[in-house]
Amino acid sequence: MNDVTTTPAVLRLDSVSKSFGSNRAVRGVSLNIHSGEVIGLIGENGAGKSTLLKILSGNYRHDEGTIAVNGQTIQFRGPADALRAGIGVVHQEQSLFTNLTVAENIEVNTPMGRGGVNRLGLYNWRRLYADAAKALDLIGSHLNPKTRVSDLSFVDRQMVEIARAIRVSAASHTTPLVILDEPTAILERTETAILEREISKLRDIGSVIFVSHRLDEVMRICDRVVVMRDGELIADRRVDDVTEEELFRLMVGRETHAAVRNRRSIEPTSSPVISIHDLTRAGSYADVSINAYPGRILAILGTSGSGRESVARAIFGAEGFDSGSVSIAGYSGRQLSIKHAVDLGVGYVPAERKTEGMVGGMPADENITLTHPGSAALGPFELPRRRLSLARMWFEKLDIRPREPEHMLQDFSGGNQQKVVLAKWLNSSNLKALVLDHPLRGLDPGAAETVNAQIRSVCDDGTAIILIPDTIDEALDIADDIVVMRDGRISGVFDLGHDNPATLDLLERML
Amino acid sequence: MVDKVLSEQGAGSISTTAIRIRESGIERRARFRGLAEPLSLLVALAVLIGVFSLFNERFLTASNFQNVLTQSAIPLIVAVGATLVILLGSIDLSVEGVMGATGMTWILLSANSRGGGDLGPWAWVIALGVALVLGVASGLIFTALKVPSFIVTLGMWYVGLGIATMLYGTDLLPRLEDEGLKGWTSRISFGLPNSFWVALLVIGLGMFVLRSTRIGRVTLAIGNSETIVRSAGLPAFRVKVAVFAIAALLSGLGGILATVQLDIGSPTVGSGVLFIVIPAVVIGGTHLGGGKGGILRTVLGVFLLTILNNGLILSGVESSYQSAVTGAILVAAIVFAAWSQRDRLQVAK
Repeated sequence: MNDVTTTPAVLRLDSVSKSFGSNRAVRGVSLNIHSGEVIGLIGENGAGKSTLLKILSGNYRHDEGTIAVNGQTIQFRGPADALRAGIGVVHQEQSLFTNLTVAENIEVNTPMGRGGVNRLGLYNWRRLYADAAKALDLIGSHLNPKTRVSDLSFVDRQMVEIARAIRVSAASHTTPLVILDEPTAILERTETAILEREISKLRDIGSVIFVSHRLDEVMRICDRVVVMRDGELIADRRVDDVTEEELFRLMVGRETHAAVRNRRSIEPTSSPVISIHDLTRAGSYADVSINAYPGRILAILGTSGSGRESVARAIFGAEGFDSGSVSIAGYSGRQLSIKHAVDLGVGYVPAERKTEGMVGGMPADENITLTHPGSAALGPFELPRRRLSLARMWFEKLDIRPREPEHMLQDFSGGNQQKVVLAKWLNSSNLKALVLDHPLRGLDPGAAETVNAQIRSVCDDGTAIILIPDTIDEALDIADDIVVMRDGRISGVFDLGHDNPATLDLLERML
Repeated sequence: MVDKVLSEQGAGSISTTAIRIRESGIERRARFRGLAEPLSLLVALAVLIGVFSLFNERFLTASNFQNVLTQSAIPLIVAVGATLVILLGSIDLSVEGVMGATGMTWILLSANSRGGGDLGPWAWVIALGVALVLGVASGLIFTALKVPSFIVTLGMWYVGLGIATMLYGTDLLPRLEDEGLKGWTSRISFGLPNSFWVALLVIGLGMFVLRSTRIGRVTLAIGNSETIVRSAGLPAFRVKVAVFAIAALLSGLGGILATVQLDIGSPTVGSGVLFIVIPAVVIGGTHLGGGKGGILRTVLGVFLLTILNNGLILSGVESSYQSAVTGAILVAAIVFAAWSQRDRLQVAK
């Protein structure tokens, strides 16, 4: 870590505040960022991080305080001003035109010339490609500017976003400040490693604000960590002077429950709820056999090419397979439909919560009773009052906040939405197995912990759980069995009842 | 600590190669997919030609070939505009109305049997001006008032039709008087019908606009995600209006050519064109949701449908069956064309 305190601050915030009505989302935040620094910004959902980022990116105007870039006080009137000042944001949800070339995406924000476009609106492709290549070069990427974004991997797309973020400041020779808003939230471990390396390279050309929920990551790549809680910046520490546990405590304001779980070995008498045998899908996975037992959590580890997501979706009937069999609760058919799987007592929490897991424009209570109405329906007739009281019961049981089940689900925070999705399956009287595809994706540590606690308690009630975790740690933390997949085949099976694999063992079998 | 070492050395380099390999596979597949679709269209076209030439020896002759090109010229011109609109993620149903209004304006201002003023080239300018006004109106209502393009252009279809009918009035049929223009569209120059030369020019221009102008690229961007277009500060509003204007201009041009071909002014001069144009765009593989597709694909789609029509007539399918047969084949063709894009969990609306 280089000594940066002597260089002038690239960005200086002085008691910046922003209110929405009576809600003070950001309160008196002061912060200095120097050239060559990587700052970690952490905080729970709703801590004010997003609002602060939107102020820095010019999307919101702050009410109080001052922002100075390279010593000059600035009031951003819009995103273009922030870009011109050298601040580029890489958003959590990628904002690339997937049907256009890498170059067009990088050049989209460049002022006036608009990247090789003349006044008549005609493109100068050669200049466009050259300019984009220069920006890519600067961040050490060797992507071909002519490639279409839809053909790129997620990490490469992230690089295109970073190149775009620094493009404007590179042209005007200001020091770029790149803000990465949870860039690793949906990345696999190995891909994260690549991205981390790329972020470190940005030190040479500018500075970085790195927003993440993964504390280990923040500790690895950042020089300094700032913690936000309730709109305030409550801590500003060098990573050398702080531990992960301390950061967690600062963030959520309570201790972690690093509960050690008693792992059970398979009872010889119990039979598997879900049993897949030699499942094969050409080009995706082959000869996969997995048994999931009641009351146990089985985690499937693997990189993004391992085929584990496809296996999970095949169990639920959401994707087809070529040969092999899936049997659920004794019933064995060649290809189950989703309807059939649901009737047999399988639930599925998809990775794409917003598009596959919930109906955002419907109230939370209707989401809960959508699949299994239980007592909330009498034949074809809905009973709204019973539905509401049923939903209240789940809100209480899973601690879903705010306790207003009649509100649209899209207005809830990510963690609470995920709990509603869980409740949708728990409302079944016949739940035998739950397939969880990245259930903690995009959740902050506090929310992740409560969701995890729910998964455990569902499991303890005798449900078999098949889990596709985000990280190895998540698997080690919660699972009873771990199956590792590599390139579509099973490369390792561990029963945590008596095996005790190290992270390294698991990682080796993944790569 | 283990993680740290791994991420800095081993894991990083191993996975980089792994990801490269995977990616090249993806790229290869993407390229294959990109080729496979137009290729399957060409195959379908070849099969169609093969089958029809078996049924009728007149099908595979030079004169029928020129006939097909003449028939496809006007749909091609209109389809270039329709492709742009559909790439936006919108739709333009006003085609036939705009054709009627423009064609009628043009013939009444040119030398015709009703007399009246012969404005010469100004007839073209004024007639295309009418098309432009209709297109800009559609575009503005669609963008500024945020009314779905489906409804706006459905209305504009009848507005155009109404204008044409009003101009037509109760007078005698306006007949084209200029002998040089009569039959111009199907006359052959350099081996191809004149109207087809116009179509080629329009296709070329359309491809250039889509490939290398701001309007074209932003059109593709809007089709991909309008939210991102706006947050990037790109001129979404202007481009959308411009695309509707271009589409209407091309419909107008098609209307004038159709009037020349017909020799007389008729409000319903564009009748049947919409039924070829929209399916041709879809069969070509342009997504109705926008963002993906292109003009050359549409050209193949238009040829496919025109040859289908032409072949059915030559094969002696009775005219009373004709529309039912064309319709059924059309549905089958679209199912076939969209087959590769199916997804098990896809939702169609």
